[in-house]
Amino acid sequence: MEHALLYVSLSILALIWILPFVTVLLSALRSQGDLFSRGVFALPEEIDWSNFTEAWKTGGFEIYFRNSLFLILVKVPLGILLASLAAYPLAKLQFRFSMAVFVFFLLGLAVPVQVTLQPLLVMMKQLGIANSLWALIPPYVAFGLPFQIFVMRGFFRLIPSELIECARIDGASELVIFRRIMLPLSVPALATLFIIDSQATWNEFIIALVLVSSKASRTVPVGLLQFQGEFASQYTQLMAGIVISIAPVIAIFIFLQRFFVSGLTQSAVKG
Amino acid sequence: MKLRFFTKFDAATVKIWTPIVEAYEKQNPNIKVTMETVAGSGAAIYPDVLRTSMAAGDPPDVFFMWGGEVAGPFIDAGQVMELGALYDKHGWKARMTPWTVDAITRNGKVWGVPYNARGMGFFYRKDIFAKYKLAEPKSYAEFEQICATLKTNKIYCASFGGKFGWHPMRLLDYLTETACGPEVHNQLNRLQASWDIPCAVDAYGRLKKWVDNGWLVPDFLSVTPADARMPVYLGDAAMIIEGDWFEFVVRGDKQPTTNLDFFVPPTGHQPLRYSAFPQQWMVPAKAKNPDASAQFIDFITAPATQKQFPAAFTASATIGIEPDCKEWPITCKWRQIITTSRDIYPPTDQAFTKELMDGFFEVQSGIIAGRITPADGGKMMQARAEAWKASKK
Amino acid sequence: MTGLRSASGTGALGWAQDRTAWMFLAPAVLVYCVFLVYPMLSSLWISLFKWDGMSAEMKFIGGENYWRIFLEDEVSRKALWNNLLWTLAALLLPTSFGLALALALDTKLKGVVVFRTIFYGPGVLPLVAVGLIWSWMYNPHFGAVNTILKMMDLRHLTRGWLSSYDTALAATFVTYLWSHVGFPMVLYLAGLQAIPRDLYEAASLDGATALQRFRHVTLPGLKETHVIVLSLAVIHALKVFDLIYTMTYGGPGRETQVLGTWMYFQSFQYYNAGYGAAIAWVITAIILLIAIPYIRHMTKT
Repeated sequence: MEHALLYVSLSILALIWILPFVTVLLSALRSQGDLFSRGVFALPEEIDWSNFTEAWKTGGFEIYFRNSLFLILVKVPLGILLASLAAYPLAKLQFRFSMAVFVFFLLGLAVPVQVTLQPLLVMMKQLGIANSLWALIPPYVAFGLPFQIFVMRGFFRLIPSELIECARIDGASELVIFRRIMLPLSVPALATLFIIDSQATWNEFIIALVLVSSKASRTVPVGLLQFQGEFASQYTQLMAGIVISIAPVIAIFIFLQRFFVSGLTQSAVKG
Repeated sequence: MKLRFFTKFDAATVKIWTPIVEAYEKQNPNIKVTMETVAGSGAAIYPDVLRTSMAAGDPPDVFFMWGGEVAGPFIDAGQVMELGALYDKHGWKARMTPWTVDAITRNGKVWGVPYNARGMGFFYRKDIFAKYKLAEPKSYAEFEQICATLKTNKIYCASFGGKFGWHPMRLLDYLTETACGPEVHNQLNRLQASWDIPCAVDAYGRLKKWVDNGWLVPDFLSVTPADARMPVYLGDAAMIIEGDWFEFVVRGDKQPTTNLDFFVPPTGHQPLRYSAFPQQWMVPAKAKNPDASAQFIDFITAPATQKQFPAAFTASATIGIEPDCKEWPITCKWRQIITTSRDIYPPTDQAFTKELMDGFFEVQSGIIAGRITPADGGKMMQARAEAWKASKK
Repeated sequence: MTGLRSASGTGALGWAQDRTAWMFLAPAVLVYCVFLVYPMLSSLWISLFKWDGMSAEMKFIGGENYWRIFLEDEVSRKALWNNLLWTLAALLLPTSFGLALALALDTKLKGVVVFRTIFYGPGVLPLVAVGLIWSWMYNPHFGAVNTILKMMDLRHLTRGWLSSYDTALAATFVTYLWSHVGFPMVLYLAGLQAIPRDLYEAASLDGATALQRFRHVTLPGLKETHVIVLSLAVIHALKVFDLIYTMTYGGPGRETQVLGTWMYFQSFQYYNAGYGAAIAWVITAIILLIAIPYIRHMTKT
């Protein structure tokens, strides 16, 4: 009986929770005229896909998607590699200042992006990559390191040291140990980080807003906001643009949910 | 070779400019023009994106700009190329309606090539006016009467979108011109008169009256200016302050324009001034290829080009380019006014730089929301003006 | 990189291990220092100047920017206040909501995964999209919120949620709640599942009621999770930018400005780079106050 009550309340709450999605999706599938005449909660009489095609081509999402994907494909593996390399000594090698270095990285979690923006802008100009996607990669990697190092270090520590000692006795160098033992045994953690980092990269807004101004280099969030300006009163197209922007992340989330969850719980484990 | 063309065009305008760009590319097969836009927010966000690209050392090759103090900071920071030499080379002076060049001259030099000369007034629904037997007002008192009549018939007098401040600003500008007259309005814009003088406070008071009397569509402070058109389209509001471009916009929204007309609002002062501003093309000081930029500007301001693509040039500064009065009757009517009457005042956001302007908007919003009294508003605005002047030393 | 080494890492072989360690660390340390630490310190330097962010001239003014933030600029103080309100709300609402959901989902209900997906889902979306979705919900004419109120015959409650000085910040926070409740929920779920079941059984055997079991087994068992959830809640809340920028743009007026957005306006719209940097450092300092104890706690082995 108690359970039934719980179930019902949760279900009602869940329905309220999905309401925004449903509203947006419904609005995206209709024509503007239909929206005006029948209000926001009517089901589409006929499904109007033109909102999506308009948003994709004219709206520029074709470009924005390409850019965000490019960033993910380059930045995510790079960042995780750097983090894993750094996590290995922090987890398994005894050296001075090990804890200090670890804390040094962890403090990065506290840094708000705003405090780096102006100097980054100047730096990118001096490096000659200003206003391009390349300008986003170094700060993205840097800001991702604290969390990734934390997770990888935690995971590496769980790998039995005997394995490593044996390898050393057999004459393996640390690099070989890293490649042949640490990485393969950490695939769950790596997969988790890969997915979480991809999602974070897709969603990042303020650095992309400040460092990149040309349309050809816009990422999805910045492009979406710009799209809203261009199509200001074409609500249904705006809704389509929103759906396009979130579809990949939602799809990945629904099918790979456990990675997100495990990533969170990893970060919760004391290190 | 790539040419980056940076504008604030919305989707509909981009559509009509694409053939122009393509025509240029056809004439110059080795040049590829990319059109980039920052749209929907007017002069609120576009200049920031432009400035960021300049700060990054990667400015566009040709860019759109308003006049006055929107262009001012860029010119003063040395980010814009002075075009005197290019004017001589391409003979632009002879091509442009003279006062348009004067309007964009700063410190005695010319920094851009005129694109448009725009004017603003109250657009209204003819059918609503006809229904309640209303006529275009000849005095401010008559105007208030119109609003009162509409109110009793449950129609909002005017619709505004307050999100970036500059849309309701148009109403406040009109009220300031009416309350203070041309001379003092100019002084206020130059910060030579204090904003807490009686007539300015009166202007704020009139703004408050419009809000309190329910003459404006309510809850509009977060609405974007584009969204403000909705109530007019739906017949919930009778008027909206827009400019000579509005006929094109309404058609782009797939709404009928036969139902619309406009009037220049009465101020009760001589001369009767209206709000107007220039728009121009500029070249960045650090342009990668100034000649290519100049060539492109030459193309888009040439009479031949503009005659070929009339829809894009309905308010052109180029001599001899007039809108097709059969196809664009309202625009044509505006054109008459703009070319004959040069009694204009700039919208305040072209008189003040962004930081001061945001202070202005803060006061404006506060009065609209009823959180600041007109008297306090005047004091606050003056305090902001003083602080800004002090920080510029 | 040599093979054999001693376990203690000291002595001649220890140096070798040091060097190896640093070679592994080098790439990450390099990127981190150049693109995070250095810009941070550079901002600190900039905050002591009056500078427009572009021209070559910078005027040294010492701590004047900081003085302005706390004592002269009304908007900065309003922003600070809004940050405080927002952070307090973030400390209480998404967290307790998340805990409640976690408790509800910790049972062996069918379809727990579905619920978890629904409540956590909003958290994976780009905040710009979340902001635009909810701006649509709050649209005075077509928005779901006002439409539902009208359907429930509560027309008098409809309003411009984001337009009104009284409701703009709160309305934006509701959006934050929607997207940030999943995070504590998942953390608490993990924390709940880590509490040994026999503690509950023992308590039941002793005759404890559900409430007593909650107070004496659950809550203490969640202490660790509380620390994490609350610290992260505060840190995230202080960084808020995307939602406010997208939904209200700091308005109406300057009513919903927070330090994160005010910094952006100052540096990138008004060209007061020095002042903006100072605001950014105020945010950083506040976050560090919370983060340092948290990190120390997390690294106690």
